[in-house]
Amino acid sequence: MSKVQSPKSKVEEDISSELSIVDGELLEVSDGEGLITERKNRLSIENKGQKTNNKEQISNRQSTILNYLFLPFIFLTVALLGGLRLGSQTSDFLFLKPPLVCLIFAAILLILFFRAGLIRFEGWFSENFSTLKNVANTTILLALFAASTQVFNALLPESGLPFWVITFCFFWTLWNNLFAEFETKKLLKSLGGLFGLAFVVKYLLLANLTAPANENWWQGIFQNPTKEAFTYLLDLPRFSPSTGYIQFFTLAFYLVGLFLLPPVLTKEKR
Amino acid sequence: MKEKHIQISGIILAMLYAAFITWLYWAEPKDLLEVSTKAQTTIENVTTKTQVAIGTYEIDKAKFEDGLMYFYKENYVAARDNFEKADPERRDARTQFYIAYSFYRQGWGRISNDDALFKQGLEQTNRLITLDKNFKSDDVNLQIKTPVELKSEFEQGLQITADDFNPLKVLRERK
Repeated sequence: MSKVQSPKSKVEEDISSELSIVDGELLEVSDGEGLITERKNRLSIENKGQKTNNKEQISNRQSTILNYLFLPFIFLTVALLGGLRLGSQTSDFLFLKPPLVCLIFAAILLILFFRAGLIRFEGWFSENFSTLKNVANTTILLALFAASTQVFNALLPESGLPFWVITFCFFWTLWNNLFAEFETKKLLKSLGGLFGLAFVVKYLLLANLTAPANENWWQGIFQNPTKEAFTYLLDLPRFSPSTGYIQFFTLAFYLVGLFLLPPVLTKEKR
Repeated sequence: MKEKHIQISGIILAMLYAAFITWLYWAEPKDLLEVSTKAQTTIENVTTKTQVAIGTYEIDKAKFEDGLMYFYKENYVAARDNFEKADPERRDARTQFYIAYSFYRQGWGRISNDDALFKQGLEQTNRLITLDKNFKSDDVNLQIKTPVELKSEFEQGLQITADDFNPLKVLRERK
């Protein structure tokens, strides 16, 4: 007896032979809530990442503005005001150019900044940085040098014996500091103390020894003999009391600028 | 604003500010009013120097005409002031000749000359000779036409000779 195959079953066999075998894993179909929470979690992680990125970008931008716009501005303002005095009678502007010794002191001070780590050379200048960045960093340093020069110009008496005495004191202190081991904080404290003392000596002590200018010679001798004598002997210049106020803010700006000065400028991408 | 832009603007602003500070210490203005006056003078000077450098320098003709008017009115101080303002760079031989001539006319005296003015005139004439030795004035009102003649007048006026004591000297005329 021969078996007779029906045409329907023949077609089924053909189809099954043509179908390829597919490997797969059976997954449980999760409910809708699970998917939503998973997506929410993913989104919140992504948002957090974006927020931290934004925060970093904002802080980077702020530090760039601080370093490249605010710091040169503050140091150059110090450079502007450091040599400014007001005349005793008419309050005229007197722009005093810094003596050579101020430039020398400023150079020593910059060396001290590098030695104490207030400025780290490798963090400011590098072959890996772009030329623009190196130039911009140089601009900040030049502004700092100008400000340092003018701070010494502001604090040193203009002429006579006090000029030489205080110049010697500054030189002695800076020279000693040059060979001492310093930390940044200690250096800043030391400079604050040094400059503060020099300010007190010049704008409180010596200024109070100076006779007022709006008197004639005879009147001065009868009314303020001691002050006249000190003014004559110490060759003290007569400035308006407002000069002291200007120089106070000059010194304050300088110290604020030093406080804001970053030791390293490498936060940004190289 | 990108980091690069901040750096560029920082450099430019710092340079401008530094230039302003340098100018303040150079010009030394006494008050805020003088700041603007001195700034204007500086800008004028810079403009004149630039004109000299690029070869487009010209004298201020209005000031020159004013100077000429004062010169003919025998107000020589005002004339010199206007001539100097007309030619601040001292490069125009004609203007410089009038300045020298004004010293001659102001210093000339029938009995004796003013030595101080004649010395200034001589210096001015020497400067003019360095500037243009062959200069010749076309002004018909002037009897002395060249810097060399003017120099000779100044030198003779400054020397004391026996001729100075000649009483007939009072009859001479100013050129």
